[in-house]
This record gives sequence, structure tokens and C-alpha cells, in this order.
Amino acid sequence: MTQTQRKALVVDDAATVRMYHTTLLGDAGFEVQEAANGLEAVEAALATGFDLFVVDVNMPKMNGYTCVETLRSETVGTPAPVVMISTEDRPGDADRAYAAGANLYLVKPVAPERLVRIARLLTSGPGVAA
Amino acid sequence: MGLVRRKAEPEQQPQAVSSDDLMRQLDDPDPEVRRVAALGLDGVAEAVDALLDRVAAEDAPTVRDAMLTTLAAHDTDRVAAGLAVHLASDDAELRTAAAEALSSMPISVPALVPRLLEDPDHDVRVMTAMVLADLPHPESLTWLAVMIKDDPHPNVVASAIDALLPSLGPEHTELLERAVRRFPDDPFLRFTVEAALR
Repeated sequence: MTQTQRKALVVDDAATVRMYHTTLLGDAGFEVQEAANGLEAVEAALATGFDLFVVDVNMPKMNGYTCVETLRSETVGTPAPVVMISTEDRPGDADRAYAAGANLYLVKPVAPERLVRIARLLTSGPGVAA
Repeated sequence: MGLVRRKAEPEQQPQAVSSDDLMRQLDDPDPEVRRVAALGLDGVAEAVDALLDRVAAEDAPTVRDAMLTTLAAHDTDRVAAGLAVHLASDDAELRTAAAEALSSMPISVPALVPRLLEDPDHDVRVMTAMVLADLPHPESLTWLAVMIKDDPHPNVVASAIDALLPSLGPEHTELLERAVRRFPDDPFLRFTVEAALR
């Protein structure tokens, strides 16, 4: 039986970060889409089911915390795992991320093999993408 | 009977609201009243302190945006300094909104940049790169280049490279390659530079 390709959404306003995470996850076998801010991410999640979200914190239009809250709200209601990755390592940032609904909060830079390992672990179940 | 010219009825003019009233309305429980008041204070120099005092505590995003729009239009040293402190805020929405406002203030922000580039908090320097990315000022690219060349934190350097990306030219090649040599163990920075040079 062949395993269905997992779908990931990379959300970051920095083009280079999007490219980096897209390349890492794409090389690891994920089908990856990109969004440049939280609003685009919510629109993408309403249109497509994703198995994984990789979300930045500081973004224009809709920041990462609000984005994750919206993904978890009735509006979108996705149960897919969310990894938040930020340059911010202030006290309370991780708590804020988990309160919003993230499964994991990582501080940049994240080693490539670590991100891939985490992505595979978090999506090792039956998957949620439509 | 001849036509009788009727006296023209006075047009309904919206009642002028004084600046004092608008400043009082900044504390109204209705966010829509606060939003309209914040926008109505555009150009009112006496309102700057009232707006700066309230922007961090304002919990309605539309009101906060209105306050920041009005404040940014002033583009004065007082406003720039008052907003720059929020680049260090623990509130992600506030620090991003402050960065966006500052990036639209090309008159007053340049004087702040040297201090921001030296801020001991690397997160503030990352936010400074976000400000410089959109600041319409002839020195913006130079400041970003300085960050890439000298900043000791790889996240700041990567943010500055991302901000410089739309304006990158062959003249930046050596600068970027040197950044990779400064942080040889940072795979993201290496990737960023390789992508930028492609």
C-alpha cells in the first residue's frame, strides 16, 4: 500500500524562510504550499486540508498566534499539528503559542534534520488532509 | 401666481467635534467610537501623547490600527521614539503593528536607526530589519548592509538579507558570502545566501 503524500502549509512573511522550509519539507516528501501571512494561511486552510502547518510569529495582516487561533477555531477547525517557528525567544512566547493551539514552539534557527524529524513524527498518524 | 423662491434650507452639516471631545472618546467603551476618534485626531499634535499612552493597552485591533495610522502620519521624533519601544513588546501583534507604522515614517525614523542597530536585544534588531525593509529612505539599504556585515546574531543577519532581497545586486555578493563565513554552522543562513545569489 502506498502512503498518501502529506500536505504541509508553510506560513512566513520572509520569502527566504518560506523557501527554506518548503525545500526541507519538499525534500522530505511533503507536498508543500506557502502563505505569506496569517490571513493567506487561513484562506488556504479553508480551501485545502493540510496535515501540517509551519507558522511564523511576526507577520503583517495577521500574526502567527492569531493565525493558529483561527485555524483551531470553528471557522477552520483543523486538528492538524501546528509547529510555530520564530526568532522570538522571550519568556512567555512558547506559552502564548501553546495557548493559541500550537503543538510545538521552536526558536530559529532550527536544524534542518530536526524540523524534518518533527514534521514526520507529527504527521505519522492516518493524516487529516482532505 | 409667480414662482416663490423658497428659502434654501440649511444643509445638514455633521456637528464638528472638538479635539478635546475626540481625545475623551479614546476612552469610550465602544471600540467603533474609539476608532473614529483616533482617525479624527489626524493632524492634531496635542493628541500624540494621548494616542501613544493608549496604543499598547488598546485591545481592539481596528482601534489600534487607527491609532497607529494617525500617529504615523505625524512622523515626528516624539512619535517614532514612542512607537520604537514597542518593537520589544511581548505582544506579537503590537510589535508587528509598531514596525509597520515605523516603516511609513521616513522623516523621523532615520534618526533612531543607529540606536536600534545597537539595541542589545536581538529581537528588536530583527524587528528593525522589518522596519528598514519597507522604509522609503535612501539609506535603508545601507543600514541593512551594515546589519548583514556586522550584526553578531545570525537571525538578525538572515532578517536583513531577507529585507534586502528585492534590491540585491552583484555588488552585494561579497557581503553575503562573508555573512556565511561568519556563521559557518548556520544552515538557514547558508541557504538564504545561496537562494539570494541564485
